[in-house]
Amino acid sequence: MEIVVCVRRVRDGAEPGRSAIGPLERHALEEALRLKERFGGRVTALTMGSPPAGRALEEALAAGADRAVFLCDARFAGADTLATARTLYYGIRRLGPCDLVLCGNESATGATGQVGPQLAEFLGVPCVTHVRRLEAPAPDRLLAERALEHGHMKVEVRLPALVAVVKGINTPRLPTVWGIMAAAEKGITVWNAEDLGLDPHLVGLEGSPTRLVRERKTEFARRKEIFSGPPEEAVKKAVARLKELGVL
Amino acid sequence: MDFGLTKQQEMLRNVVREFAEAELAPHAADLDERGEFPLAQARRTAELGLVGIVTSPEYGGSGMGHLARMIAIEEVSRVYPPLGFFLQVAPMGLYILETAGTEDQKKKYLPALCRAEKFIATAVTEPTGGSDPTAMQSTARAEGDGWVLNGRKVFITIGEVADLVVVVARTDDKFNAFLVEKGTPGFEAPRREKHAGLRSIPVSELAFTECRVPKENLVGQEGRGLAVALAAIAAVGRTGVAGVALGVAQGSYEAALKFARERKLYGKPIADLQAIQFMLVDMNVGIEAARLLAYKAAWLLDQGKSPREAGADIARAKLYTVYLANDVAAKAVEVLGACGTTPEYHVIRRLRDGLELLAAAGTQQIMKVIIGGSIVR
Repeated sequence: MEIVVCVRRVRDGAEPGRSAIGPLERHALEEALRLKERFGGRVTALTMGSPPAGRALEEALAAGADRAVFLCDARFAGADTLATARTLYYGIRRLGPCDLVLCGNESATGATGQVGPQLAEFLGVPCVTHVRRLEAPAPDRLLAERALEHGHMKVEVRLPALVAVVKGINTPRLPTVWGIMAAAEKGITVWNAEDLGLDPHLVGLEGSPTRLVRERKTEFARRKEIFSGPPEEAVKKAVARLKELGVL
Repeated sequence: MDFGLTKQQEMLRNVVREFAEAELAPHAADLDERGEFPLAQARRTAELGLVGIVTSPEYGGSGMGHLARMIAIEEVSRVYPPLGFFLQVAPMGLYILETAGTEDQKKKYLPALCRAEKFIATAVTEPTGGSDPTAMQSTARAEGDGWVLNGRKVFITIGEVADLVVVVARTDDKFNAFLVEKGTPGFEAPRREKHAGLRSIPVSELAFTECRVPKENLVGQEGRGLAVALAAIAAVGRTGVAGVALGVAQGSYEAALKFARERKLYGKPIADLQAIQFMLVDMNVGIEAARLLAYKAAWLLDQGKSPREAGADIARAKLYTVYLANDVAAKAVEVLGACGTTPEYHVIRRLRDGLELLAAAGTQQIMKVIIGGSIVR
């Protein structure tokens, strides 16, 4: 099985004890490694970003990915989800045919959840999101359990396909010392826009139809009122206040 | 001069820290309380490649080296020092086998030891004292096609759980080392010693009574047994103790810093009071200095220096890190005030563990003898 895993670096990955790979992408990588262990094949870790993002690939190689491709070009900077998906698509296209693309359902930062579906659209393959359980009854078919707000949905999909996973699908393995040593031997392939045959106008900030206008931190502060006095009185006051507010 | 770690060493630190936080931190206090050997956790360290980290891949090790090992031990001990102490002690036997064992011995034992399917202890110290091993009274006499061992060893770390023990014994005026497998008639571990710290790592007395081992169980050349064991105690034992000490110090310091930032006095965190800050500064600077000494000793071994050539550097590292660990752990207890000696804050546990390091792999005074010798010679 030829599997590509899109990994994304977390910004504070430099802190000891913190993985350089985003939390959901670690689950995606683990799922890829398990499928490879069962069906054979190859796992390729793919990322787009600035040079520090290479750390996520080093970690993916140490965890057991067979090869790593780094889409690194200053012109890729400022990409929105569409430009990111397009760039990743060109990377996957250059890698050759693949059976399965695995990614995290959404990033730990922007959390739009758009890159996976957009990438599937570029690739022209079915897309299954919010996957919390994945079974492979055969090497060309997957059974996925999608987590919904109230329950779940079971989906069968033929490969090639893209699967976006959520938390809890598995427990990601830690790289071993052997893995860390082997990662240094595997090396990372770096491709820029020219290597991908990508029109530079279609990538990065220039290729992004979305503009981030403003970022705002939202505080969810609870309103707090304390009613003192003997319990009976306090309860009466509280009920009256709740009625006044239209809650009761 | 380059103080940076390699990418691999950095990644190793991350991985071991994540392992320690996720898999050790929730159980550390309970494991300590119960005092049982942390078998599952020891096996996990082997799965990660930490037990055989200085053993060559040819024999099932991961071969990343001495500095990598020290980093791993430091990170494990930052959270749970007894498991760091296991990683200090177990690889001594692996090192003895790899550096002095026959090809058959290496192939037979090393892979299973690296996987922690089997454990190996090293037995030198006797009731006559550990600082002068030449006073040992255990004997080995050649008889038929093997050797017969008689004597008693004390303070043997993981002796109780070991499947295999490297035993040093006297043959006339020479010393030989032997592999003794658990279950060999005449070999028993009659008594477990009680210790204040590192409570989940068993320290035992071992007894040998007309214990017969085949001649192929001799480790190293005849007459070189003690030298082989002492080299392992220096290269693996003392550097390992330094790693545990760094972890004890770092863990204690972090606990003190966290408490000082949270605990308020006179309307502000006690970390803002110079009286507390100065203690934190002493801890911080001491750890930095100790780490440099310790890493240098491990680095020298990675550069190919023999345990003898790096002997004084290793002794400096062991001496300084252990005193520092005890000092930092005691200061941490002080910073925490009345909370310092309660089990909930995990600093008193570290202080108890730190005390065990004073005599481990050679007393502090023996370290001074080694360093003194290197200065005046």
